[in-house]
Amino acid sequence: MDKSQSLLGDAVFETHLKSLRDMPDWLIELKKEAWVRYKALPFPVRKNEMWRFAHVDGLALDDFVHDDTQGKRECELLICDCGADLNFSDDAHVGGKTLSEELAKAGVLFMPLELAIREHPELVRKHLFERMPDMGSEKYQALHVALFSTGVFLYVPRGVQVELPLQSVHSATREGGSVFPHTLVVAEEGASVTLFDIFRSSKENIRHFACAAADIYATAGANVRYRLVQAWSGNALAFHLNSATAGAQSVVDAITINIGGAHIRGEQHGRIIGKGGEVIMNSLSLARGKQEIDQRTLQTHDAEDGHSDLLYKNVLLDQAHTIFSGLIRVAEGAQRTDAYQTNRNLLLSPDAESDSLPGLEILANDVKCSHGSSTGQLDDEQLFYMLARGIPRRQAQELLVFGFFEEIIAKIGNPHMADYVRQLLQDSFSLQ
Amino acid sequence: MSQNETQEEKVPNIDVERDVGNFSYQTTYDYDAGKGLTEATIDYICDVKGEPDWMREFRKKALKVFNDKPIPLGWASEDLKTIDLDRISYYMAKGRPTRSWDEVPEEIKQTFERLGVPEKERAFLAGVEAQFDSESSYSSMKEELFKQGVIFVSSSEGLMKYPEIFRPWFGKVIPIGDNKYSALNSAVFSGGSFIYIPKGVKLKQPLQAYFRINAEEMGQFERTLIIADEGSEMMYMEGCTAPQYETSSLHSAVVELVALKGAKIQYVTVQNWSSNVFNLVTKRGLALEDAEIRWIDCNIGSRLTMKYPAVVLRGERARGEVLSIALAHDGQHQDTGSKMIHAADHTSSNIISKSISIGKGRASYRGMVQMPRHLKHCKNNTECDALLINTNSRTDTYPAITVRGEGNSVQHEASVSKVSEEQIFYMQQRGIPEAEAMSLAVNGFVNDLVREFPMEYSVELRRLIDLEMEGSVG
Amino acid sequence: MSLEISSLNVSIADKQILKDFNLTIPKGEVHAIMGPNGTGKSTLAKALAGHPDYTVNKGSALLDGEEIFGLEPDKVARKGLFMAFQYPVEIPGVSIANFIRAAVTARMNKEASDAFSATAYYKALYAKMDELKIPREFTARSVNEGFSGGEKKRCEILQMAMLRPKYAILDETDSGLDIDALRIVAEGVETMRGPDIGIVVITHYQRLLNYIKPDVVHVMYGGRIVKSGGPELALELEARGYGWVEKEFGALV
Repeated sequence: MDKSQSLLGDAVFETHLKSLRDMPDWLIELKKEAWVRYKALPFPVRKNEMWRFAHVDGLALDDFVHDDTQGKRECELLICDCGADLNFSDDAHVGGKTLSEELAKAGVLFMPLELAIREHPELVRKHLFERMPDMGSEKYQALHVALFSTGVFLYVPRGVQVELPLQSVHSATREGGSVFPHTLVVAEEGASVTLFDIFRSSKENIRHFACAAADIYATAGANVRYRLVQAWSGNALAFHLNSATAGAQSVVDAITINIGGAHIRGEQHGRIIGKGGEVIMNSLSLARGKQEIDQRTLQTHDAEDGHSDLLYKNVLLDQAHTIFSGLIRVAEGAQRTDAYQTNRNLLLSPDAESDSLPGLEILANDVKCSHGSSTGQLDDEQLFYMLARGIPRRQAQELLVFGFFEEIIAKIGNPHMADYVRQLLQDSFSLQ
Repeated sequence: MSQNETQEEKVPNIDVERDVGNFSYQTTYDYDAGKGLTEATIDYICDVKGEPDWMREFRKKALKVFNDKPIPLGWASEDLKTIDLDRISYYMAKGRPTRSWDEVPEEIKQTFERLGVPEKERAFLAGVEAQFDSESSYSSMKEELFKQGVIFVSSSEGLMKYPEIFRPWFGKVIPIGDNKYSALNSAVFSGGSFIYIPKGVKLKQPLQAYFRINAEEMGQFERTLIIADEGSEMMYMEGCTAPQYETSSLHSAVVELVALKGAKIQYVTVQNWSSNVFNLVTKRGLALEDAEIRWIDCNIGSRLTMKYPAVVLRGERARGEVLSIALAHDGQHQDTGSKMIHAADHTSSNIISKSISIGKGRASYRGMVQMPRHLKHCKNNTECDALLINTNSRTDTYPAITVRGEGNSVQHEASVSKVSEEQIFYMQQRGIPEAEAMSLAVNGFVNDLVREFPMEYSVELRRLIDLEMEGSVG
Repeated sequence: MSLEISSLNVSIADKQILKDFNLTIPKGEVHAIMGPNGTGKSTLAKALAGHPDYTVNKGSALLDGEEIFGLEPDKVARKGLFMAFQYPVEIPGVSIANFIRAAVTARMNKEASDAFSATAYYKALYAKMDELKIPREFTARSVNEGFSGGEKKRCEILQMAMLRPKYAILDETDSGLDIDALRIVAEGVETMRGPDIGIVVITHYQRLLNYIKPDVVHVMYGGRIVKSGGPELALELEARGYGWVEKEFGALV
């Protein structure tokens, strides 16, 4: 590990700039500004409402480096019969299956981000970093902008329906290293697409930092399904700073599955900016050991007739800690909004702690908004019903836990992906 | 005033109706600490009251904490910044508390008569305490309660006459530094009630306190301490009004409740300050084994209210409850809520909050439910419902729930809606005018909570809601 | 071979419900327990199944000579006691197929359960489902979730058929109003009926017995059985209501 490339010193940024090839000036400027912003912004403190209940001591980044000079090949991982896939290892594109000729002809773009910046600058520039979540991690957002080198660019032109799901896998392989994967999805009017975005470490137990961002834009009438699987190593510190922006009559349907990581900070900002837009946000987290999964969500309704629906489910084992902090914000004039938010926490250990902060800020009166939060153990009556059928207690408990997961898994909408997630959960759960 | 006078004739004798409180009497005060807050203010108060040294030290320590603590702008309303602490009078009093209305100074007596206090006392109260600006003017209790050993006096009297009961609990439920405004109260408090209910005594009728701000730019800082000894039961009711001035006044109370083993305390508030009053109140109860504390709270008046009644469930099987109604009209922010701190096994708590925002009014709910340690079998249930009447009305909900331990469960549900058009149409079809239909619907929304108030209050609450709804349609 | 309940005393939250309750169900017979509301019929079912809220203060229940009180509910079930719930619990996210499979394999030793293929399981499951006229799509649904009253009963009977208990207790105390559900239970019982099983049907209403012909009818009152007889006893209850039971036996309890 080359200490000179610490994330706290300027050298790392200089090395990064040198490693960029054929990048346009506007991007370099963007990165320079971001680096200044990153250096100027303070690290989070718990007193800040956006970090309430969070353990902020491990977020100082002092023991991570970043090195753009070497990429590593990683074996490919195929989950489903996908339309195409992109594989990244330590922020370098390492291959994948390209789009069918038909889709390519239709104008669909699915390529490494740095390539898209070179080949389709006008398409990328319009939305790149246009709307980040801005939910407390501005410092890390800035760091992401400054140091990202690649990621996914998915563009679906007007009216094109991509039937098969697309897949991308981002791997981190270096002890003490850091990755900054970026995902940008733009679906034009009436387009439809599904992306599986998988984040993983090459080995269990390597300690590294990841600061990922995924921004999704659905233009009028578009339909985007985004499934994120976070399976970093059990020692990783990871940020996932995501946004979903829905135009008129469009739908962004996002699911996040959290399985890995030592400390995860997730931000998901769903914005409805066009009349009748819809954002769906679901999440499932299995927190074990001393893991902290800190998820913050925002459902912003800036347009009339919008619909948003959120369901975040956490299962807590051992001494795990989860935070769900969500807010539905309905702007003045966003009449006939329907917005829902639910957080369910299942505590399977007396030492685990869940914090739940479901919030509403409603500035329009013709709305249907509600939220609910429940925290508890397995239901005694369900357990008894199972026992009364002769199922041993341990097995009954496990069945109930998987039943709790299933509500989210069922929403994934692809049997291969659903099985993949089930298997990950099964493996993680049986480790205890 | 003439308009107010006619209003008053139409609906006489409603102590929670805003305009009825909108009058003031010119009076000369015997004591006035002047404007602004320094150590000298505290010395003045201590000297006038003849307080012991420990209290003087307590107050001065509190002043330091108050000055050191920042305004909580991270989460609270920016409006807090507009309070000009240098223009406020911190202590103004006339006469000494008396047990007979005949001895109360004339203009003060007239004030409380106009607010219907003596009449209520005769009708259904076990005792009354009436505070005019900084001091209690009248304090009385039924003879039989004296005999049972019940103590119901102003807090100043309590600290002087019953230090052996007062001192062990004073400032223990709500320490000086709990928040900036509890520190302010600790520095300059005056008035409020001290109540002690002996073991096993169950009061059949409520004790009532009435808080009145008369002077302009007044700061009222009453301090109440209620101790219900083992197995006792009591209900306390407080009402408050002030005249409408151009400048703002500050009301910053601290209320501490202690329910010992098996005791039950119900604390009922109908807050109807005029819309120039900042109402920043800290209320917390400590419930020991098998004890029960209920806060029944209705906030209708004030410019900004910040109040989150809390129960610390310290003993096993203790129960805590907060029932809250808030009405926020134009220019008002009702920032209310509740805290339930579970600190023993098998404790349970319940929160029901309903708010109505009218015009540009804003109602916020802030909640905290904590089961932070290794507790077993604790339960909390929270329901928050908000009704928005006009297109620019606002509501917020900010709960924070922390759970660990075994067999604990917490449920929180909140909803926001407007009055159902179908409901209004249905009533209109039966010949009920729209405005009345709206009032009926709003009354229906809070009905289950209004019923929890003592009858004398619930009738008036309903009428008040009708008045508040007037002119809000369209 | 019988399920023999003797001197059973059961309380819930310190309130005594069953008082010196005695009943023997021989294999091969169908018994009906009837009685007014609040007399302890459901308590009997729950206590036998080992529900943790019910405290057995005294008494014994011998299942073919083996004591079942004090055992964990899943052990009681595997010994061969099946309780059809009055209100079957909804278990979101757990499919009927997985649920029943877990219950079936729990009754096998490791070897048998390893050897129990998915094909064999589904073959057995579908056969029972066909017999009970349950559509096959049913297996993918979550246990009881969003089911109609009739579907829930059908699901209970399917489980009973798959698990082949030695004794079954059908708690139908309050479901007398749903005629469909009643018919389903009755048909299930008639299908299962045979020399290898003892069945107890608990009901408030005589109507269920229009579909099932019990061998013995018991009248329960005040936490114990006060009268037993043949099917004619059920008819008498229908004709006279429960008033006379109270009059005649009220003094006894």
